Amino acid sequence: MASETIAIPDDLRAKAREKSWPEDLVLQALGAGASAAQIIGYMDQGVTPDQARQFLSAQSGGGAEPSAELKEKAEAAGWPQDLVQQALAAGAAEADLIRFIDMGITAEQAREFMAQGGGGAAPQFDLSWMQVPTEWNTRAKPTKHGLTLEAINIGKYGDIPDVWEYSTEMPRGAIPIPGVESMGYSIYQKQEVWSDACARLYEEAIQRRWRPATDVPWATIEPLPDDLERAICQICTHISEKEQMEADVIGRWEPEISYGYHEVKLYLATTVFENVRAVEVFRKRALSNGGGLGIQSPGWGFRSIVDARNFTEMAVIQFVLHDSLTLAQYQYGEKYAKNPAEKYIFGHALQDKARIIEYGITHLKYVMMHRADRREEIQRYLEKGEGMLVQDDSKDSATRESFAIYFAGGKDNIREGLKIYDQMRKRHLEQYLVRLKWATVDRADRLAPGLRAYLDS
Amino acid sequence: MPVFPSVEWFNAIKDMVNVDPNFRQLGTVDAVIGVKVENKIFELTFEAFECTKVREATADDLRDMDFWLEQSYDQWKEMLENIKKNGAADLTHTMNTLDLSNPEGFARSNDGYRRDAFYRFNQSIQDFFNASAKIDTKFAAKEAVSA
Repeated sequence: MASETIAIPDDLRAKAREKSWPEDLVLQALGAGASAAQIIGYMDQGVTPDQARQFLSAQSGGGAEPSAELKEKAEAAGWPQDLVQQALAAGAAEADLIRFIDMGITAEQAREFMAQGGGGAAPQFDLSWMQVPTEWNTRAKPTKHGLTLEAINIGKYGDIPDVWEYSTEMPRGAIPIPGVESMGYSIYQKQEVWSDACARLYEEAIQRRWRPATDVPWATIEPLPDDLERAICQICTHISEKEQMEADVIGRWEPEISYGYHEVKLYLATTVFENVRAVEVFRKRALSNGGGLGIQSPGWGFRSIVDARNFTEMAVIQFVLHDSLTLAQYQYGEKYAKNPAEKYIFGHALQDKARIIEYGITHLKYVMMHRADRREEIQRYLEKGEGMLVQDDSKDSATRESFAIYFAGGKDNIREGLKIYDQMRKRHLEQYLVRLKWATVDRADRLAPGLRAYLDS
Repeated sequence: MPVFPSVEWFNAIKDMVNVDPNFRQLGTVDAVIGVKVENKIFELTFEAFECTKVREATADDLRDMDFWLEQSYDQWKEMLENIKKNGAADLTHTMNTLDLSNPEGFARSNDGYRRDAFYRFNQSIQDFFNASAKIDTKFAAKEAVSA
């Protein structure tokens, strides 16, 4: 496309003036297919006019500029400069060209050699990617925690914009190629997914992994009375079901998040792993002591998560409301565990769950700090989530009764167990309200009546 | 023989866990934790894979900690004797169990968000106290910690 026919948009012209990019260079970049927004992006990243020219030259097959030594040798040997340029553009290394010249290869021989496609010599290389004008000389240093995600967020690589402009899988800090297909992300705003803790939580999740197959002291499980075994197996069925659901839901949201927020994507990937680890370990417990699985949950509460239409809606209902309940179940499961294996399982699962909750409330707080206008919207999501949880309570006798029997040590004491169950539900709500309050969301007066009953008991 | 509670006692545990590959394998711990035994207060700082600092603290310092562990002298003694006898806390003496068994809670904090560190690092904190099984503990007189 003739550069004379390309118009430079006003915003690009203004940015070029600010960054001292000459007009011809801007026109050349536009002619090469870069959009005005992309060129502005390069300028904001600190790409200099010289770097841009080198990059464009390499893209058009111009090859690298020959060194003074090569120019001198070529002139002395009668190699025209265009031949040298052609050889470099074809991927020949300077050192090789100097050696060929020193060996006495004439210009005609060199032309013949290249016309034959190299005659079995080195393949044609592009190598223009080595000229990309990204921020270079980056030296992240390991910390006491090792070389962490936070440690590598330096310079331009640590710039996390409020809005991510790219729809491809281009990593933050890399150079885009015009024309790459869109990934179809739907989330481009930081406030939709961000938590100031997500990079730290990712590293914690990686460091605090455990292995159910070999770490759990499975041999310590001894036969239990039938009612207790049935109770723990029903509990395991319930937990396996909801942890798999949570993993599936998070997995569906991952591809919606644009690549600019990789810290969030990486952390959420660990939560999928942690949730499926819970599926794994609780299913294993159910199938390891003469019992089996039980009945599935009515799943009313699940729908409010599965049907969420935006990420924060899903996050507050799942990570704050529901996971606070699961954490309380793990706390009480650990206390009333019948053997070291169950103690281990519940004790480790509660660590994982607490970490997910931290992401949930730090994300919520970030939203509240940056989009206070969403406060009533968040309250509505929680209202919906709480309402569906109350529905579950009214229809899910299996979960309530199995926990009660487990806590009480047997079916004969189920009434005592139900009191402990109610204490667990009360604890869940107390901790849930405290966490919300920290995130500046007050639901003390708006809690669903069906849940408030536990607080008042 | 280190006396519980004392900086010396906590340093003995700290020195053990900091060279224990099993403690390291549990993963990173980043928390400032208090231990309150009647009127005696201690601050334990955990960073990355280690307990990095132990010091005696004051009641005012509690508000700057992520959480503190508080129970009576008798309860602390029972917990540590249980650990010593069994090599680790048994089913009825884990931190979480003690926390749920105490109406006021074992793990306390002025900040509910920061208190969640008790859950996130639960097994590492448990492992820290379980390490006391490897030393012989002398218990300070109850009057000395209540003064």
